[in-house]
Formats: sequence, C-alpha cells, structure tokens
Amino acid sequence: MRKTRRTARAGVVAAAMALLTPLAACGGDEGGTPTINLYYAPEQNLQKVVDDCNAEAAGRYRISYQVLPRGADDQRVQMVRRLAAEDDGMDVLGLDITWTQEFASADWILEWTGDNKAQAEQGTLAGPLASAEYEDKLYAAPKNTNVQLLWYRTDLVQQPPTTWDQMIQQALELKGQGKPYQVITMGAQYEGLVVLYNTIVASAGGHILDDDGTEAVFDQGAVRGLEILQKFASAGVTSPSFTNSIEDDARLQFQGGNAAFELNWPFVYPAMQEGAPDLAAKVKWARYPGVDASTPSKVTIGGYNLAVSRYSKHPEEAFDAALCLRDAEHQKFSAINDGVPPTIESVYSDPEMAKAYPMKDTILEELRDPANRPLSPAYQNISTVMSATLSPPASISPEQTAKELRGSIQDALESKGVLP
Amino acid sequence: MEARGAKWRWGLLDVVVVVFALVPVLWIMSLSFKTTATLTDGHFIPREWTLENYKTIFQTDQFVRALVNSIGIALISTLIAVVLGTMAAYAIARLDFPGKGALVGVSLLIAMFPQVSLVSPLFDIERRLGLFDTWPGLILPYITFALPLTIYTLSAFFKQIPWDLEKAAKMDGATQGEAFRKVIAPLAAPGVFTTAILAFIFCWNDFLFAISLTSTERSRTVPVALSFFTGDSQFEDPTGSISAAAVVITIPIILFVLFFQRRIVSGLTSGAVKG
Amino acid sequence: MSAPTTAAAKHRAEEKPLSKAEKARLSEGKRAERRLGWLLCAPAAIVMLGVAGYPILYSVWLSLQRYDLKFPDDREFVGLSNYVTVLSNQYWWTAFGVTMLITVVTVVVELVLGMALAVIMHRTLVGRGIVRTAALIPYGIVTVVAAFSWRYAWTPGTGYLANLFSDSAPLTERASSLAIIMLAEIWKTTPFMALLLMAGLALVPEDLLKAAAMDGATAWQRFTKVMLPVMKPAILVALLFRTLDAFRVFDNIYVLTAGANETSSVSMLAYNNLIKGLNLGIGSTMSVLIFLTVAIIAFVFVKLFGTAAPGSSDEGRR
Repeated sequence: MRKTRRTARAGVVAAAMALLTPLAACGGDEGGTPTINLYYAPEQNLQKVVDDCNAEAAGRYRISYQVLPRGADDQRVQMVRRLAAEDDGMDVLGLDITWTQEFASADWILEWTGDNKAQAEQGTLAGPLASAEYEDKLYAAPKNTNVQLLWYRTDLVQQPPTTWDQMIQQALELKGQGKPYQVITMGAQYEGLVVLYNTIVASAGGHILDDDGTEAVFDQGAVRGLEILQKFASAGVTSPSFTNSIEDDARLQFQGGNAAFELNWPFVYPAMQEGAPDLAAKVKWARYPGVDASTPSKVTIGGYNLAVSRYSKHPEEAFDAALCLRDAEHQKFSAINDGVPPTIESVYSDPEMAKAYPMKDTILEELRDPANRPLSPAYQNISTVMSATLSPPASISPEQTAKELRGSIQDALESKGVLP
Repeated sequence: MEARGAKWRWGLLDVVVVVFALVPVLWIMSLSFKTTATLTDGHFIPREWTLENYKTIFQTDQFVRALVNSIGIALISTLIAVVLGTMAAYAIARLDFPGKGALVGVSLLIAMFPQVSLVSPLFDIERRLGLFDTWPGLILPYITFALPLTIYTLSAFFKQIPWDLEKAAKMDGATQGEAFRKVIAPLAAPGVFTTAILAFIFCWNDFLFAISLTSTERSRTVPVALSFFTGDSQFEDPTGSISAAAVVITIPIILFVLFFQRRIVSGLTSGAVKG
Repeated sequence: MSAPTTAAAKHRAEEKPLSKAEKARLSEGKRAERRLGWLLCAPAAIVMLGVAGYPILYSVWLSLQRYDLKFPDDREFVGLSNYVTVLSNQYWWTAFGVTMLITVVTVVVELVLGMALAVIMHRTLVGRGIVRTAALIPYGIVTVVAAFSWRYAWTPGTGYLANLFSDSAPLTERASSLAIIMLAEIWKTTPFMALLLMAGLALVPEDLLKAAAMDGATAWQRFTKVMLPVMKPAILVALLFRTLDAFRVFDNIYVLTAGANETSSVSMLAYNNLIKGLNLGIGSTMSVLIFLTVAIIAFVFVKLFGTAAPGSSDEGRR
C-alpha cells in the first residue's frame, strides 16, 4: 500500500501537469469569423434555428449555442456570476422576461438603439415588449412569450366559467354531485404563486407598484386580489397538495382524474395527449377566469427575451444574431416545434400554426390584454417577499397581509432588510 | 447452537439495515424503469416496464462525457487529498511544531465557512487564472474542502496507533521500512480508507462547485449534467431520465465502497496487535 | 480552538531551564522535528490557504459593506450595520430556530443509529460486504435526486408513502414536513457517522474485549467501558463534522418544501439573499454569522472532548 503511494503520487502529479497545459485553447475565434456565444435555456430545436441563422449570416459571424441548465433560477445564477466578473465569453443572453430590468440596472446588458430597436419593436406584441424596457429604453428583443389558460373537462362542464366566483361555484356543485371537481393550479411558495396573484390583481384592476415601478402602492384592487386568493384556497376546491405544487405537479394532478378545472401554461396540452390520451379527448381550453363578469381577465405573461452582454467582444454581430434568432420565421418554427408562443403578432395568423397550436386564438386574445409582473430591477426581491407572505394562501387575512406586503415590498424595492 | 442462533440474529439485523437503506433507492430505480404515462401512479413496482430512460441518457455523449469527468476528477482529488492529508495528519499526531494547532484550526475554519459565499470569489480567481471550466479548476477546490475532514479524521486515528510497536519491531530485527509496512501501515489502514471513501463521495456528489466552476462538457460532472437534462418542455422535469442517471452514477460509488470496505478492518487481522 | 493548544505547546517549550549542552542537543532534534512537521504540513496548508484564503477574506470584507449588484452605484462601507439588520430580523431567527431543531434532532438520532449500524457493520457474522455496501449507498446517492424521490414518495397520488397515511399532504403542514425533512437527512447521512464510527470500532483491541468478557462484563458494559472510551476520537470527528454539515442543511429543504411554512434553514436564507437578491452585503453577513455559530459549536465540542482532539495532547508522539 505505502510503497506504491510514491509512484502513484508521481503519476498523479504528471497527470495534473498534462491536464494543466492545454488550458489556453478555450473558445477562441477561428481565423476571422467572430463566434457569437448564445446562452439560452434548453430548447430542443433551437439548434436548428441557430444553424439557419448561421447560414443566413454567410460567414459574417457564427452563433454557438451554449446550453444553460434546465431550471430558470440556475440559468440566472450562471449568467449573473459571469457578468458580475465581467466575463467576455457571453454575447447573446436568453433572459426570462422578469430579469431584464435587473440586468439593465446592473449595467450588464446593452441598450437597443436605432435600426436594431426598430426591428425588434416591429410587429411585436405590446406586453412582451414592455417587459424588455427599462427607464423608457429598450434593452432586449422579445423572443417568445407564454400565458396560462383555463383547461376544463367537457364531460363535466358545459359552459366554462368566466370569473373566479363562477369557477368556485361550479366546482362546489360538482363536488356535491360526487363527481371530479377540483380546481388545479400552482400554489407552492415560489414564483408561480406570484404569477397567480398577479393575474388576479391585474384582472381586478389593481396595482402592486406605481407606474414608475419605484413605490409600492398596493391599492384596493390588490387587496381585493388577496380576498379572492384566500377565498379560492379555503373554498375546499383545491387539491390536497395545492400548497406544494408547481407546474408539473399540477399537470399530473389533473391527469390523475380528480379534477374538473386546471389553470396552467399550454405545455399541458401536448403532454396530456401523450400521457393521458383518453382524458385529453375530453379537455378543452378557455380564457382564464377574471374577477368581474364584465371585465375580461388580464393574465400574467411569461417568456424569454434576447439581450446583448455589455462585455461582448462583438456587439454589432450579437445584435444581428439576436434579431435573426427571434425573427418571424424562426418564431413560427419554434412555436410549432418547441411549443413556445411567438411574440410577433403576425405569426399567429399563419395557417401552419393552426394544427400544432389549436389554442392560439385564445392565447392571442389573452396576449393582447396582458398583465406584466411588477417591472422593476428589484423584482426577484419582490417575488421572494410576496411568495413567502402569500403562502399558504388559505391563511391570508386581506387587510393585515396588505399592510405587511406594502411595507416589505417597499423595503424590497430599496434593497433594505432581509429576504425571507 | 449458540453460533447458529447468533447467525440468525445478525442475519435479521442485516436485513433490517439493508431494507431501510435500500427501499428509497429501489424507489428511484423503479422510477427509472417506468414509462412516462405510469410515472406518477404511485406504485412501487412499475406496472409498465421500459428501458427507454436508460437509452435516452446514453443517446448523446453528454452524459458519458460527464461520467468520465466525474470519475477522473473525483479519483484525482481523492488521491491527492488523502496523500496530503496523511502527511499532515502524521505530523499533527506525532510531531511537535509551532503552528500545529493553528493548522488544525484553519482547516476547521475552511470546513465551516458556508461554501455558497466562496463560490463567486473562487470563480473570479479561476477565470483570471484560466482555470475556469477545466479539470484542475475543480480538483483544487475539491482537495481544499476534502482536506479538513481528511486531516481531522486521520490525525484522530493516528493518535490511536501504538507507535511503540514500530520500535519493538525494529528491536526484533526489522528494518525501518519493514517495521512501517508490516506493523504501522495495517493499523493506519482503517482511517485512510475510511477517509478515502468519504472524500470520494464528497467529490463525486458535489453540485455547488461543479455548477459554478464549469460551463461546458469539458469539465462538467455528473450532478451538474443532471440539471441539464431536459424534459419535453421547460416545465416538465425529465424524472425518468434523471432517475436512470442517478442509478447509473451510483454504481461507481458501490464499486468504490465494495472495494475498500474490507480494507477498513483488515488491519486488525494481520496480527500486529496480539498480546 | 487553536488558542488553548498553542498556549499549551508554548508553555511546554518554556518549562525547565536546561544546561547549555542539553539545550544544544535538544534544539538540534527539536529543530529537525519542527522542520519535518512543517514540511509535511506545507502542501496541505498551501492548497487550503491558496484556494480558500482569499474567498473567505473577501466574504468577510463584503459583509461590512452595503452592496447590491443590481444597484452598483449604491455601494458603500457600512461597518457592522448589516449584522444589526440581520440579527434583528425575524426571518433570521425563525430560520435559526428551525435549523437548530433539525441539527439537534438529526445529529442525536444519527449518533445512536450510526453507532448501532457501526456495530452491525463491524461484527455481523453473515453478509458483511453486502451490509456495509448497502448501508453506505444512501450516502453515495446524489442528494438532490434522493430529495426528489422523497418528494414524489410523500406526495399524495404519486407516491407510495403518502398513500399509507391519511389523505392530507404531509409536505404542506409545518410539523409533518419538518419531520419528513429530518427523516430524509437521517436516511442520507447516518452512513457517514456509521462509517467513521466503524473505523473507530476497528481499532478497539480484541484482547481487551476478551479480557473484559472473561472478567464477567456484560455486552453493554463491554460497550460502555471498553469500546466507547477507545472510540472517543472517532466519535468526536463524526459528531463534529456531522453537526457542521447538519447546520448547513439546504438541498433537502429546497426540494421538499422550498422553505414553505417556515421550514427555511439559515443556509436557504443566505442563498436567497445572496443569489436571488444579489445582495452581497447581507448574504455575506449571513455566511459569516453561520460560520460563527458553527465555530462556537465546534469549540464547545472540542472542549468537551478535551484530549481526544487532534493536535492537543502528547499521546502518540515519538
């Protein structure tokens, strides 16, 4: 044992030296063609879009798709760490729409101006575009968006509800009849809960922040939103795991057969076709329920924007690459093949969308009247504070919670205090 | 007879231990064999079996590359950490020199400081030195954070060894080398192999450093590769493939432990501590 | 930790006045011993300080500043005010309490179970290899994967464990989710304790046990009077490192409840402030506080175990 230790150690040192030498060769430019490093979440067919854009670039630049981890939080951490260290190895960044203001405020991404700005804005839906702006300047080009729908069982529900009260009432009736009745949605202590609450508040005409995004107003509409959320959580129509469910849990619960309604992103549709085809045949979609019968809902949008890193060595080419990756044709491709809704309005009327995206009309309807989450650099803080305070939703006492939130969101905006 | 009764009793205890340890592992295995449709039916034994998940993870060379990285980095880190730790522990246990207590204190300090805060500055240094996304870039932190446990464990064990036996053996005519090999080394073995196993498992399963200090397949290790597995959409977790991958990456651990577990107690039976 | 031992060492060195000749001889040997000691320790010390030195110091430096990456212009030196903010915050103390609870319960349970497991692994008459390997597998599985499997298992409808109990979801209540978190921790890290304790058991001299048996000691007496004292160093290492790790519990809570129902640990709090909030000042402050707490615990342990601590006594020296 011991006598071989010395020789083993020498071998190890030699191995370490051998490994240390080829350090220099990391992602350099080949000859003259600049490499544009695209850092984006995993999307199954994005590589084809990248290849297409490389062909279009015809040698001016070459996009290299660097895949980020699956989870949104992990993606953000990766990028933040490198941007904070002024790493010049990243060019085009795929940002969740809620990170754009944060990155802009930290001075990590470049402003879009002139021709680039015009191209990015042309034909783009207003909601996603607003999420790419900070202090009236454009900092990213929206690539795709996303919005939740109401999914319901046609064998149990004749007329889909248009308000929360109606939905709860229909569910309770079904419960009384002994049929599947649950309303499935995400209620864990995480971003999804904030999305849910934001939708309710926006549908009630309320505001969490003022228009500038610098002060926590938390007006009457926001308080009404708390009441509705609390009523929903304690009405006895949610699944037992409601307060521990995220998107995929919700999908599986609905597929389990005890539910009549689901509020979730469109990914559940193709997943249901594959995982529970018998059930899928009985499921249709409708517009997300609103608060008042007279006012249609305003639903929170999600999605991804493309931004250019401030430390990029080839910003000009990076802007071009980003514009190519998110142009109408490629958005259509991604929508059909990866299921991510486009941000350019004209794509929705394309006939090819109809088969893969039967719910596109409802999606577009919601996208034309959307709700954004509070657009502020401190959004992560706000979200953390809100999800901790709103969880579990059944324990909300509207006036008390509103007072608490008004204070803690204001602190979060000013980066004061401690996040839960 | 007494011996047989004892065997049955021990056997029963063995079974209890194995069941308690392995039932959750078998659950993960069962998840890895389930089809997507039956993934969440709550049954312990899959109603529908499939090898699809295993095929999927080996389809691209992404996972295999990660396996190679993990094996290489973990083995090298463990080896170096055990070697350096053994030397330091020997000195601490047997020699007197100023700074001995300080070394132990500093190594404990390093073990105690929350690693989440250390990752960003470490990333900064490595990026400047060109070590980011390389094997040495992970090996060095792994050695650093395995050393405290290594030093502490080994010095605790080295203090237990009756060093006079070495003198006795030399008086009986053995050379220094022989005395060391035949008398001391077997007594040191339990500590060294225990430490090796623990250091290996730490390096193998670490996620925080691996995800912060790597960015491409060049040095990405397996736990990080798991977070890159994709489901059919951004919201669906590829539970089947993750479970399959988890099963696959536990196998080297099993082999490593199987190989070393005997040597932990082999020292006693080699006859040094009689009478 | 280091203060008492260096003081003791210094005192020993200054003890008796020696004659010149004795001094000359001794210092020759002593110097050689010192050199050898430093030489052997140097590589380990260099690696540890080189890699971790700057990050730790930088972290401490950051804790004295108000520094939010999102608002880089607001960066300023604020001295200890971050510490005041954190220590007077209710979230911190709730998480602290939860972490303490989890630490104490899991370490105590693991010590007992680990000892039992160590005895079984060491002394079993059948299937030794199988038991040892099987017992270590929980520790060898990637924590996040194991946590996910527990999450699935305890979710009603999708898992086998939840279906055993009532219809309610155990992960949505505070008490039951804390219990599940502790169970997951215990399952995962008992092998760590058991392995260290087993190696300690392996050093207990057989003949001592045989002599005790011949003197009429029962199995329990042999355990407490012969095995335990010899195993003290091993127990200290196991207890110390396990406690340090237990206090920094993160993965299991993150996956099982995401900190809901006030089940967050201090590590999760630090992570949220540092990584999610990009508040380097507060996040670093929490890290330093976690470190200080853990250091105090370590200090207490080392004091309790006295001479069993490495580098602290004369046993085993040449």
